[in-house]
Amino acid sequence: MSARAEAPVLSDALPPFLKLSTGPVKTHCPYCAFQCGMTVSPGPTDGGELQVRADEEFPVNRGQMCIKGFTSAALIDHPQRLRTPLLRGEDGRLAPASWDAALDFIAQRITELQKKHGAASVGTFGSGALTNEKAYLLGKFTRVVLKSPNIDYNGRYCMSSAAAGANKAFGIDRGLPFPVSDIAETGTLLLWGSNCAETMPPIMQWVYEQQRRGGQLIVVDPRFSDTARSAALHLQLTPGTDLALANGLLYLALEEKLVDRDYIAARTEGFAELERSVRTSHPAFVERITGVSIEHQLRAVRLLAEAESSMILSGRGSEQQSKGSDTVLSMINLMLALGKVGKPASGYGCLTGQGNGQGGREHGQKADQLPGYRLIEEPEHRKAIAAVWGIEASELPRKGKSAYELLDSLGQQGGIRGLLVFGSNVAVASPHANNIKNKLAQLELLVVCDAFLNDTTEKAHVVLPIAQWAEEEGTLTNLEGRVILRQRVRPPVPGVKTDIEILCRLAGRLGASKGFSFASSEAVFEELRLATRGAKADYSGIDYEKIRAAQGVFWPCPAPDHPGTPRLFAERFAHPSGRARFHAVPHRPAAELPDEEYPLFFTTGRYKEHYNSGAQTRQVAELLDAKPEPMLQLHPRLAARLGVVQGDAVLVESRRGSVSFAARISSDIRPDTVFAPFHWGGKQAANLLTIPALDPVSRMPEFKVCAVRARALHPTAKALT
Amino acid sequence: MNTRKKKLAIIGNGMGTCRLLDELVRRDATNRYEITVFGEERGGAYNRIMLGKVLSGESPDAIVTKTPEWYDAHGIRLIQSTRVTRLDTLRKVIETADGQSRRYDVSILATGSQPLVPPLEGMRGEDGELRSGVFVYRTIADCIRMREYARSGDGAVVVGGGLLGLESAKALSDMGLHVTVVQSSKILMNAQLDEIAGEMLARQIDRAGIFARLGRTVESIYGDERVTGVVLDDGTTLSTDLVVLACGVRPRVDTARASGLPVNKGILVNDTLATEVPGVYAFGECAEHRGKTYGIVTPVWEQAAVLADVLTGNQPQERYRGSKLYTRLKVAGVDVASMGALGPEFERDQVIQIVEERRDCYRKLIVRDGVLVGAMLVGNTAATASLVQLFDRGEPVPEDPLELLCALRAPAPPGERVVCNCNKVTEQALCDAIAAGCDSTSALGDATRAGTGCGSCKGELTQLLTKLGKKTSAVPLLATA
Repeated sequence: MSARAEAPVLSDALPPFLKLSTGPVKTHCPYCAFQCGMTVSPGPTDGGELQVRADEEFPVNRGQMCIKGFTSAALIDHPQRLRTPLLRGEDGRLAPASWDAALDFIAQRITELQKKHGAASVGTFGSGALTNEKAYLLGKFTRVVLKSPNIDYNGRYCMSSAAAGANKAFGIDRGLPFPVSDIAETGTLLLWGSNCAETMPPIMQWVYEQQRRGGQLIVVDPRFSDTARSAALHLQLTPGTDLALANGLLYLALEEKLVDRDYIAARTEGFAELERSVRTSHPAFVERITGVSIEHQLRAVRLLAEAESSMILSGRGSEQQSKGSDTVLSMINLMLALGKVGKPASGYGCLTGQGNGQGGREHGQKADQLPGYRLIEEPEHRKAIAAVWGIEASELPRKGKSAYELLDSLGQQGGIRGLLVFGSNVAVASPHANNIKNKLAQLELLVVCDAFLNDTTEKAHVVLPIAQWAEEEGTLTNLEGRVILRQRVRPPVPGVKTDIEILCRLAGRLGASKGFSFASSEAVFEELRLATRGAKADYSGIDYEKIRAAQGVFWPCPAPDHPGTPRLFAERFAHPSGRARFHAVPHRPAAELPDEEYPLFFTTGRYKEHYNSGAQTRQVAELLDAKPEPMLQLHPRLAARLGVVQGDAVLVESRRGSVSFAARISSDIRPDTVFAPFHWGGKQAANLLTIPALDPVSRMPEFKVCAVRARALHPTAKALT
Repeated sequence: MNTRKKKLAIIGNGMGTCRLLDELVRRDATNRYEITVFGEERGGAYNRIMLGKVLSGESPDAIVTKTPEWYDAHGIRLIQSTRVTRLDTLRKVIETADGQSRRYDVSILATGSQPLVPPLEGMRGEDGELRSGVFVYRTIADCIRMREYARSGDGAVVVGGGLLGLESAKALSDMGLHVTVVQSSKILMNAQLDEIAGEMLARQIDRAGIFARLGRTVESIYGDERVTGVVLDDGTTLSTDLVVLACGVRPRVDTARASGLPVNKGILVNDTLATEVPGVYAFGECAEHRGKTYGIVTPVWEQAAVLADVLTGNQPQERYRGSKLYTRLKVAGVDVASMGALGPEFERDQVIQIVEERRDCYRKLIVRDGVLVGAMLVGNTAATASLVQLFDRGEPVPEDPLELLCALRAPAPPGERVVCNCNKVTEQALCDAIAAGCDSTSALGDATRAGTGCGSCKGELTQLLTKLGKKTSAVPLLATA
């Protein structure tokens, strides 16, 4: 390759002020959306392991952290970490290559594919783990450099249903419309489909504080989870019936005259239609569908209605369904009808999953969105972003395919031929994982940017090693909508690059260096500020210094002297009328229900020790030792029927695949349901079983409900007696 | 390709049609059908199960599920206050009582049922209509007429001690009437309850201030223009101002008969809800499927879902295989649930009964070949939710079916219990650490990580230290907040 002008990129050298400092650096955990504040200090010797401590001063986790955070530094100098680009050779093996060779190869293949199959044949797949800056730049790169409509991200598997519901009802989507500290002040807290004691342990301090102050906790979950153990009331519903339950609670609220008619008249619209529709949700039907007794339904709705303040917080259990967005709407309907939304320590919120699940969905990583939560099909929004990007609005591509549909189209006629994946292990994280794995293999170009090899890199043509959280800086937006700053602790290990560098260098090679010369993450953020000015998720008044000074800034923050917005909805909702909207959302069954052939419900979830597809946490010895393999949770009654005892291998089969798990027998689960975590890949992947039925609005796959059958793999004499 | 929309006519606008329309709309049926609904009553659709509210004085609006505007908004034509008299199934024309006729391609009979009116002497006036003061309990109009007629202090006789009879009795009693229920069976709600349950219910009815005459029938009604009393089969005379006939329902098949469709008890349909005449379907209370007609709403809704799947081609191979019977309600303040068989039907049927006379609680299970085929609960209905799901799905019951009646949740075996949730430290691991010399929460934290996460288990760590530690050094309980 001939010499050409490279875009100026991030320097590997540390800024001087960090070089001088040997003390602890304030930053944030690399995992979930709680984004615990942590302080990280270099080890005792130069090059020794980083010392991670929970930040006592950060107001979200207040000095607490879970085992994943404590052990997070183990990934930085991990022996398995990738330190050089890998290029798949003629022999089919990945072999080390230079950065130039790898990037040249990618650029050349992209150019060829787009020439042959059109711009849309190359797409990108992002992640809720990317910083705001990376998410923003990936969106810009896809639309401006690749000129492709096809970009989506694994947040589609995470937050899309809650986002769709909140947008419809409130006109805006911010996971929590209040700071987490409000949880401690609410009278009744209902955690719906969230096992946050395992998935987000440090949040429990707020829940415990709420209980110490005399508040009540209700948990809705098919499993008697660690979270449910703390609750005053546990509604152990049938998987996939959350929508029926929420409608039923509203029916009872109407019946018991617990709704707030004054609030409904003053602050909402569309109640009359909802009220008529919900009249078919008689508690007896709801009981039959959900398995939640009428007595419990009544207790729950009274606790919510009669407390001075109350809130529902939802998790993936209720959202990862083919009716997830309607389910979210049904919870919002209930809280609006009770007159709680916008009142102190009250309302509806969702507990975002991934580290930057919130920011990741605001800055143009979604097929239908542009930065600032703008919509790609909205002419005014297109114009605003095109102006920032220095192109004509007409040059902006239109809406592309959503995550599962994008992956399902890989290698297919009219589908994607080349895919660049950033921070996502799609081969494990997608439903019907076998299908996705086969499709990945049909790509003519698969580029994976990651710090470790994983199931997805098995099919990659190029693997690019990237810098990790402690080696770069950038902002994230946590579950509260608080924009926070991850600061750099030390320079990246030799041989790796940041995602921002990679995008800029690729842009240069694809002849679009203009608009892709960023000297730092902060420089990208400055452009992001411009791009979000005047939009719903307005970051224009936020800068790095302000974040450092204020322990984070809540969006919207429309001006430099604006303090940010910790609480939404006190005065008005974000629809033009200022009112919240009710939606009539009748119950409908899951896409696949148990039948004679596949008589059990299968549902998935998490272990405290692991994070998402486990690509990071399964590399940490301490975490792997604690939870070395996925186990199938099943009820003793079912176990007896199958003739299995603790630890026996159980073969679980769905219409899409089969997995063998070790049995973990526990009366904490419904007898009609089996559970397995989805943190493992290969033959242990729970998503080999799950169904790719999508929510019609959010395109969320139904990870939480499908039908399976189970049998003992090696029936033993002891089990049969 | 033929792109003309087919004309789909639905005859009847009750609860079945209301659900069918939702199912059709959800499957985008309006893209391929031009849907017309013929309703005999005025207005949109309402929830008949909530009729008691109207009788108790609430506005009819309070039970409406679809307004006429809903039909408009969904591109469905609603023809109100119109009775369909006949289908000309050869010419595919619908004839209405007002002499109109309309073409259809597919028609669905959803004519529901009508109250069974026994031929009691003196029941009708000279005009052949029900005598003033005699009511049936089926429509919004019936309820409004009844509540306008009834005054507190009046006497009321309810003929029939089933679901509807008891519901109307309660409503009238709440309005201040003196109410007597006359039930031909010795058991109240005998379609759902056995003798023990019926007796418990009768006691509760009595406590609610309602009189019940069991094993009795009304022979005749007397009075001049208005009802003034009834005579029972034992010769007893009850003076009364109102008579409510709640003797059950029968399928409405007059339109079907007039159209020449095969009718037995109800309109005969197969597993696709089709009659043997092409293009004509029937479902709901008017339909007879495999020898059964249904008078409760869940089976009707199940039929609606199948019919919508078949007609829209959404899942054309979906079939209706019959429904299981389940009743769940509160009668005069008593929770009652009943499903399937009321008693043993075969030699091999296993019956489990728990009778708590003094609490008026009763629980009964009927198990056949390891499967729950019937259950009845009065007073204590906590187990209903899990029982009905087991019954619906035909899942095997545990060897000792009594397990089903108590919510057993075995505690985790000692040692396996997790104390520190954040770091998954078990009680056993902590005991080991204490035995090895850890004498403070911070020492336990260093050794096991317990208490170093969210900190909420520190109190429990202190307790363990106190219990098991060699010396109980004062461990300051760190603030967890």
